[in-house]
Parts: sequence; structure tokens; C-alpha cells
Amino acid sequence: MPITIIAPKQVRHPYDAQHDIASDSSSDVDSDDSIAGGADLEGDISMKSRPSKKARTGGAPSTASKFDIVTPGEVITDDPQWMRGHGTYIAPATSSIISSVAGTVTRTNKLLSIRPLRARYTPEVGDLVVGRIVEVQAKRWRVDVGATQLASLPLSAINLPGGILRKRTETDELQIRTFFAEGDLLVAEVQQLFQDGGAVLHTRSLKYGKLRNGVFVAVSGMGGGGGVVRSRRQVWTFDAANDGGQIDVVLGVNGYVWISKHVETPEGVIDKTAGITNMEENISATMYSSQNDRIEPETMREIVRVRGVVTALVENGLRVDEDMLMRGYHEAVEMALVSNDGQDDVYLGGERGEQLAAALTGI
Amino acid sequence: MPLDTSAYSLALLRVDGRRWNELRRIHAQIRTQAAADGSSYFEMGHTKVMCVVNGPSEPGPRRGGTAAAAPGGGQSKDAEVAVSIVVAGFSSVDRKRVGRGDKRILELQSTISSALTASLHTHLYPHSTINISLHVLSQDGSLLAALINAATLACVDAGIPMTDYVAACTAGSTSTYAANDESADPLLDLNHQEEQELPGLTVATLGDSDRVAVLVCESRVQVGRLEGMLAVGVDGCKQVREILDRVVREKGRRMLQEGTVEKGVGLDEMDMD
Repeated sequence: MPITIIAPKQVRHPYDAQHDIASDSSSDVDSDDSIAGGADLEGDISMKSRPSKKARTGGAPSTASKFDIVTPGEVITDDPQWMRGHGTYIAPATSSIISSVAGTVTRTNKLLSIRPLRARYTPEVGDLVVGRIVEVQAKRWRVDVGATQLASLPLSAINLPGGILRKRTETDELQIRTFFAEGDLLVAEVQQLFQDGGAVLHTRSLKYGKLRNGVFVAVSGMGGGGGVVRSRRQVWTFDAANDGGQIDVVLGVNGYVWISKHVETPEGVIDKTAGITNMEENISATMYSSQNDRIEPETMREIVRVRGVVTALVENGLRVDEDMLMRGYHEAVEMALVSNDGQDDVYLGGERGEQLAAALTGI
Repeated sequence: MPLDTSAYSLALLRVDGRRWNELRRIHAQIRTQAAADGSSYFEMGHTKVMCVVNGPSEPGPRRGGTAAAAPGGGQSKDAEVAVSIVVAGFSSVDRKRVGRGDKRILELQSTISSALTASLHTHLYPHSTINISLHVLSQDGSLLAALINAATLACVDAGIPMTDYVAACTAGSTSTYAANDESADPLLDLNHQEEQELPGLTVATLGDSDRVAVLVCESRVQVGRLEGMLAVGVDGCKQVREILDRVVREKGRRMLQEGTVEKGVGLDEMDMD
């Protein structure tokens, strides 16, 4: 009985759908050649000069659709009217702008730049960031803010205890570790940038300073690809459900998030005490403390729930901002009510996270 | 175990059934590790490699008093590309322990590091380090090529600017050096068995161009055969680049559909104003 050999079916990957089958078919053509005569050098040369069947986007700028991304080495335009921005370079001795990262094209007037699909945080002046001290030097701290370089926080850029506008002294330099030590978390603002992209932070406001009473989450920040986005409000307080009390959320633009129990704000202190000098004394006592206040189990549970919402948003590729987080939180509270464990169920990973994301995107 | 090279001239098929210019099945993924800045997984036949990129980031204070800072990092004007390769004990047939100071591994590390340093725009990240950590899960020839491809993909995922992809593959020749057969055919993408028996080289090119970024030849071969091998290798690199590019584009398209990244602007819309 003769055996029939059925030709194998072409396995089509989903991503082949939009691309033509040029690469597949061309390799078939090559292998057909080889049946005839094996490898001769002429054959190799013809392979080398084989015309690329895939139309290069750079050759015809009009084909660059808004749904497309560009990848490294792709010519964006040959037109010399454009200026090159971040994520691009100009090939030597030509005027064509070439992409150097994988991402989407953006433009500001005549400036072409590529927003990468994902990259580390790039600081900008005025950004609110959450950071961690990694090194203490003589007159400054080095802070990890998730950027390509460590940010620096000079001693002169913090609120010294005993008066906001006090001049710093040598005594302060000697006891620099009493303000911030290695591993401490803080919230700060980017004050200026160095030429090479390094950031200088400051905490000269009562809104900024050391963080305690809460939990830290690192997600991807500005720079591309989901995570925390720059928005109107990065810091807010809300009333948690299930007797959780008030909870503070700090969304650092760098993707570092701080969720903590709300403690009385300085404004609240002003109302109770007589003068501004009193206020300063009160604040300075607690400003650089690393000791947590008492946190009720209910508050802890709700803090963990907010944290679960943040990670679920990131895992499902959604942006993290006040609106999404608050809607996600209320959705999570509802989800916990119908689950078996009741309000103690704070798990938002896996399927539950997908469920949450689906509820938020309205699909 | 000698490779039966006499069979090739009969059917023009290699030991694993491929023709002279066929690549093995290539499978690649990016963003496999959520915690890393960039990550990838790359398979070339049975050679399987995982890559994780962290950085560019500035190393913190060095603990333990190792004051001898690595050259390139620290206060230099360019980022340093630090490559570390871990070969799993179960990756090859014989379970050999490969130490960290193994000379072969060190050479692979420095080859990959210099190849990527040339393509990555390291001048954008002063005093920082790009840590590339590669894990070899399974070996079946063309190890260096697979490592380079995985590292390139992970760097693209990490969003580190680069001139172009560095795509690599190997090429060989159908008869041994001793046979002195000037008319031997070149072969593309050697597997482990062929790599043991036949002369071969690893070549990596920069993107679509013919610019060779890496060329490693560790075996003896007549110079007359070299040209054919190189031509086949360079062509293979272009095929590999297409595959890598497709993986990145597919990932990007999916992210656009999910709304994780904002849509870009088409150039034709730009022409309007």
C-alpha cells in the first residue's frame, strides 16, 4: 500500500496576518534553488541582492499609519524639514531621521521624537517623585527615583527642623543621618536638571518629606508603557470603605507609589495651636521620625486593597491615576462584598485582577 | 562520533534534514519578566536562552570595599554594558559544571558587551551601567548567536536607544578542514553536531546593512571557503533581523490595541499643517 505524504500545513502566527508572507515565501524560493545545484557562490550573491519584499515604511512616509510602531533602525523620514528629537538619530552623511527605540512617533511642531514602548523614568522639572535614599554624602543624599541616574537631594533643599527658613549650619551637616538615612523613603519635587539628565530634588514644602505609616509599590512610571501618568493630582486623601479611616495616596511620576494612613495635616495643626511658631515645633518633632503611628487593622486592610488595585491596573496594562485608582478601589470593595471571605478578601491578582480591569474599561 | 558528511552530497540534506541555507526554527518573546527593565526569551532550534536587562542605572555605593570600580562605569561619560552569562548545568548533554571564571564564558561576555556597546547609544547615559544577564537553558550549537539575539531583543524591550538591531547567526562549510575540499558548500545555522565536526563562524550584522558587528571563527578553514560562509552568514543575519523585528512589532501593536501606549501620529497627518 503506497504511503501518501501530506504536505505540512503552514502554521500561521497571529502576527503574520497583517504582514505578507514575503519572508516565508522567499525562503522557500531559496530552498528550491538549492535543490538544483547546492551552494554556488553566484546563488549567494543573488541572495544578497534579493529585493526586500517588505516595503520599508521609511521609503514611503505616507504609509506610516498611526497604528504602527517604529523599531530601531527604521527610517522615519528622509525629508530634511524635520528636526530630530528623543529616540531618533541621523545617519552620518545623510539627512534621514532614523528611529533608535521601538515606540510611537510623536511630534511637536517640526520636532520628531519617538515615545518608547517602555523605558526608565526621565525626570522633568516640577515632577512629584517618591524616592529611596541609597547613599548619604557630606552635604547631600543620593536618591533612587527609578531614573537612569541617582537624583541628588542637597542638605540645603530640605526643611530643617525648628523653622522652615532656617539657614543650614555645620551642626546640621554633622547630623545629616538624623534627617534621612539609607533606605528611607521620601516624597520630593524635581527642582532642576543637570545637563546629563541627573535630577536635583527639594522637599521645601510641608507636602514633601519623609514617608511613614504606609506601604510602597514600584510600578513603571513616565517614560512609556502604562504605569503612573502625569496628571492634575498626584497626591490625595480619601475615606476608605469598611471603617478604614482616611488613606493618603502619593503617585510619584516616576512610578513609585506610596499608600499610607492619613495623619493630621499641618493645616489641621494650625487650627488647633495658637501661632505659626508652635506649628513648626510640632512638625519638627515628627517630620523626620521613622517611627510608625498606630495603624488599625481595618486601615491596614484597606491600604492593602489599594495596593492590590495598583498592581492589578499595571498587570492589565491600564494607566494609574486618581480617577482609575478610585474607581478601581470602589470596584474592589464591591467585589470583596460578594466574595466568600467578605470584606477581608483583598486578593486582586490573576483572574480577579482581570475582572477588575474589565469592569473599569467597561468591556 | 564522526558526522557522516558523505550523506550530504547524496541528498543535499543535513543531519537534521535542513538544506544548506535553512535556519532552524526561531521562536522569540519579549517582556517575559515584569520586574526587569527589559527581558526576552530566544530559541534557535534547541538552543534556548533567556535574557534580562536592568538599567541604565547608576550603581549605588559599592559595599565590601571593592574600590576598584569597573572601567567604563563610575564617572565615565558613557554607560558601561556589563554582561553576565550563566550556563545552566542541565543545558547540554554532559552535565558539566561551568565556573564563573571560565575563559570561554568570559570571552562570550566580552564579545557581546563590545558588540552591543557599539550599537547602543551609550553616550546618552553617563555614569550608568546597563546590566545584561543571560541564562543558557539549553545548548545545541550557535550559542553566541542566540545570546546576541536575546540580548538585542531585551535591550529593545528596555527602551535603550540603539543604532539598529544586532542580529547574529552562524555559518559553516560542508566538509572538514582536513578534507581540503575547495568546492564544499557553505551551511547556515550550525547545530551542535555540525559545530563539533565542521569549520564554522559566528557573524552578527547591524540591521539591514552588510556591516559586520561580530565575526568569530574558532576553527581552521581554507580561506577560499571563507567568502562563501560569510556571505551565507550575513544573509542569515538579515533573516534573523526580520524575525526579531516582527516580534517587537507584534508586541508593540498589541500594546497599542490594549491602550497601554498612546498612538503615534502618522507622517501624512503632519504634512497637513
